[in-house]
Amino acid sequence: MRSLGLVTALLASVALSACVQTKQYADLQFTPPQGDYKLLVLRPDVTVGSLTTGGMVEPRADWTDQARASIVAALRAQQAAHGGKVTVIEHRNEVPGVTAQELADVERLNAAVDESIVVHKYLGDYLPTKRGKGLEWTLGQGAVRLGQKTGYDYALFLHGEDQVASGGRIALGVLGLAGCIVGFCAPNIGGAQQLDYASLVDLKTGQVVWFNVVLAGSQVPGIKFGDLRTPQGAAQMIDRLLGRMKPGTGVSKGVVMTGDPQEKH
Amino acid sequence: MCLRCVEVTRRAMLLGGAAAAASIGTGAAQARIRPQDMVPLIGPGFKPTDRDEMGLWKEMERAEEEIAGSNLVIEDPRLAGYLKNVIGTVGGPAAQDFRIYLVRIPDFNAMMFPSGFAVVFSGLLLRMRNEAQLAGVIAHESGHFLRRHMIRSWRDERRKTDLLAIGSMLAGIGGAGAGVYLGDYVQLAQLGTLLSLFQYSRGMEAEADAMGAKLMEQNNYPPVEMSNVWQQLIGEENASARYRGKHRHKGGLFDTHPSSDARMADLRADALELTVPGKVYDARRERYLSTIAQIRPTLLDDQVKLNDPGASQYLIDTLALDGWNGLLRFYEGEVWRLRNRPGDDIRADQSYAAAVVYPDAPADAWRWHGISLMKQGRSAEAKAAFTRYLTMKPDAPDAAWVRQMMG
Repeated sequence: MRSLGLVTALLASVALSACVQTKQYADLQFTPPQGDYKLLVLRPDVTVGSLTTGGMVEPRADWTDQARASIVAALRAQQAAHGGKVTVIEHRNEVPGVTAQELADVERLNAAVDESIVVHKYLGDYLPTKRGKGLEWTLGQGAVRLGQKTGYDYALFLHGEDQVASGGRIALGVLGLAGCIVGFCAPNIGGAQQLDYASLVDLKTGQVVWFNVVLAGSQVPGIKFGDLRTPQGAAQMIDRLLGRMKPGTGVSKGVVMTGDPQEKH
Repeated sequence: MCLRCVEVTRRAMLLGGAAAAASIGTGAAQARIRPQDMVPLIGPGFKPTDRDEMGLWKEMERAEEEIAGSNLVIEDPRLAGYLKNVIGTVGGPAAQDFRIYLVRIPDFNAMMFPSGFAVVFSGLLLRMRNEAQLAGVIAHESGHFLRRHMIRSWRDERRKTDLLAIGSMLAGIGGAGAGVYLGDYVQLAQLGTLLSLFQYSRGMEAEADAMGAKLMEQNNYPPVEMSNVWQQLIGEENASARYRGKHRHKGGLFDTHPSSDARMADLRADALELTVPGKVYDARRERYLSTIAQIRPTLLDDQVKLNDPGASQYLIDTLALDGWNGLLRFYEGEVWRLRNRPGDDIRADQSYAAAVVYPDAPADAWRWHGISLMKQGRSAEAKAAFTRYLTMKPDAPDAAWVRQMMG
């Protein structure tokens, strides 16, 4: 609910595209976690719905449950390959040492920060003060305290939503295609649309160290670029989202940040 | 399904559709829905079995978790129990299935979510003069759930947008085939669809009002109190608009809810129809006032800080129809003091002076009364007022300053 505005904005920004797009940002000093790290994943926020003939999204409980399970399984498999220890929690009261309220606070703050990242990094509202600084956002002391109390090194926030074109929507697209014969060509009425994003927070510093968005959309109903309901589709989503995590430009170019470290926080 | 929500997107639609809408004129008032025709469409322990409704409930799971855990929720077991009791009284067959949350938002509203949980704004508790009024609003919200409004309006919307999409496509293809441009008709159909969606929504609100009035009567609340709620709201909005030199919004084609005036009139007719001569009704004012007594200062404080003196003054005057007290007089003074027009300082001083006459005057009334006496040079009386303030509030953050003022 809270991310509705964000989602609409992101979808609108790619309204005319029909493909898979990803764009990631990282803190300048970020190196992708490797080896023996502990990762906390706060219940992935996933919904799958059906795109009605008229273009509304009808949420589907069964598909959503399938997708949530598939994504968690895919995430565990993917992280195991990196050597990390992953805990995925389904409810906020499942982390020993912190209250559900503390966890909720971090999760809600992250949602607000994610929104800000999207506005200023993806939607063109660039901030001159953040130019060339990679990803410079933080969840502050709340996230640091979460790390201290639980011993986790990172927290990963995942959001995914998928719309599957209904039979009616596909038929309407086919009708639009048929119209090409008489000169009214409208097969591109908008079809399946998948939007995923993830943010990785370093629980030692509170910094959002990495952020990625994946958009897999099709303007023509019936053509799919991924399907979160299936194990394959979920694995594909996790791979697109987390599979090619790049280090920050400060690290990859061998540049060391100069200046007052206070400034950064 | 909220009591009177305003949707921002309406404005965007208005821009495009206003001119055309004026020429179509489908906004004719709807016939009143009679309370006796309103029967609950669900029984106790309802769970969805249809695919679309299950999807809707699934979405609500996390929404409810977010709302229940929000830091806006007023965690007062007594108030929570009270609201649960009220919805348990006027909730019809679903009475025991409802959840209800009180959130600290100083505005007049309440809403029911598709899976049967309700949210009540604290501003509602401020405005209600008795339990019957509160029960009326809650019964209205229950009515949405009992009449399955969420899924019905979702299906209505889905059906109409489906038809519009198919119709537009066929018009495009047909037009192209026949060599005519039908785009204008498609736009008109779009507007027609929109208007019909809003009209459907207004119809549901009217149903919920009628269902709510019936539930009130069945539980011995005077049904007319629901109509009084709207009368009070109209008065408040008029007062607020007058102060700002504006006119109150009186309803239009793009409203999701019928106008307050129409609702007040229909509910009054409902009440006449429902009231059984000789039957004893009870608005349960005492019980209501004693339950909210502890939170009332917060409610008033939030209201006067909204910088809406027209509405605040109206609200306080309305509550005072049941008798003035120290709390209401104090906040009346606060309205004047914060408004700060010429002469308001004197009005505020008079209110503070009136407030301290009552035994329930809050500590801050004594503080401001002391300051006003000080300004008039009546330092001995001021000192007594300040002493009273410090006795009532020994930990006051400004205690040191007040002592210095006392000399």
